[in-house]
Amino acid sequence: SQIVDPFQVLVAANKAVHLHKIGKMKTRTLYTEVIFNLSPNNNISDALKKFGVSDSDTAVLIVLIVDTEKPVNLEEVVSQVEGQQVSLDELPQLTDIEKVKKIYKITPQEEKIGTLLDSIVCRMATKDVL
Amino acid sequence: PPPLPGLQLVQQGAEACVFRGRFLGREAVAKLRVPKLYRHPALEERLSRRRTAQEARALLRCRRAGIPAPVVYFVDYVTNCIYLEDIMGAVAVRDHIESVQQRGDDASSLLPLGEKLGALLARLHDEDLIHGDLTTANILLRPPVEKLDLVLIDFGLSFVSGLPEDKGVDLYVLEKVFLSVHAETETVFETLLKTYAATSKKSGPVIKKLDEVRLRGRKRSMIG
Repeated sequence: SQIVDPFQVLVAANKAVHLHKIGKMKTRTLYTEVIFNLSPNNNISDALKKFGVSDSDTAVLIVLIVDTEKPVNLEEVVSQVEGQQVSLDELPQLTDIEKVKKIYKITPQEEKIGTLLDSIVCRMATKDVL
Repeated sequence: PPPLPGLQLVQQGAEACVFRGRFLGREAVAKLRVPKLYRHPALEERLSRRRTAQEARALLRCRRAGIPAPVVYFVDYVTNCIYLEDIMGAVAVRDHIESVQQRGDDASSLLPLGEKLGALLARLHDEDLIHGDLTTANILLRPPVEKLDLVLIDFGLSFVSGLPEDKGVDLYVLEKVFLSVHAETETVFETLLKTYAATSKKSGPVIKKLDEVRLRGRKRSMIG
């Protein structure tokens, strides 16, 4: 419910893969790095709590990072999930906008100059420079 | 050159090369800092990274404050390259002024632009953000141009400062651009300053400093 657009996840994954390649990840695994990158701050445990899967979640977004040389069996992954697979197009319906604004601390002025996604991605991309 | 599909060099400035391409499916701009080989490598690395970081930080501050600037998509600290939002169809204020003047319209049609600029810069400076390279080439107009939807770009020389002196210099640089690049635009800049003074809460000392800087400027005889 905190994801507004697949691009948000792509940006997080891209950064994770980049840091992994140069050996400068902040977390210990590639996937926790993706989750960490989604967070607007630099607190790892907070990120995992907010963006990781918890028992109360009713929807999950599965991210797979694949090496082009090693194909992955999607069916295998999907079969591990007990639930109904839904198209990514329906993602906006699952987004809790107020929750997102709170987590990312979006200011009212920001909403005038760009989309929610813009604000989120900007924070994700620059949080390590602060 | 950055690994971006559909890559094309847009321009090569003194600081960086600007490329256009797609980043994760979106139209984006990649700004790659050109390594200056005459510098000592250790210094070069540090300086490049600091400038990149400063630019990223400034862009984030703008976004938080509601000051229109491109969205940062990714910062690569290995190559010191920033991947930003590409403002599709944007026209630089410099080109806009030129085309307006070529059309034969006089400066009075540019006065609303001056107002918008004044208001925008007032908000920028009230956030204690100094652009550092305010030229009409570094301010874009989103299409449609009539809406006067401005976007600031190129924060490579930007820094944080509350000093009226720094803000005054920021404005002075822009004034010089207006006076030297764009003919007969004095009224536009005057309107800009008027709106700036009216919008900014801290404008008094800044305008004063601007007057002082004007007197100091280059090729001024400091007699008396």
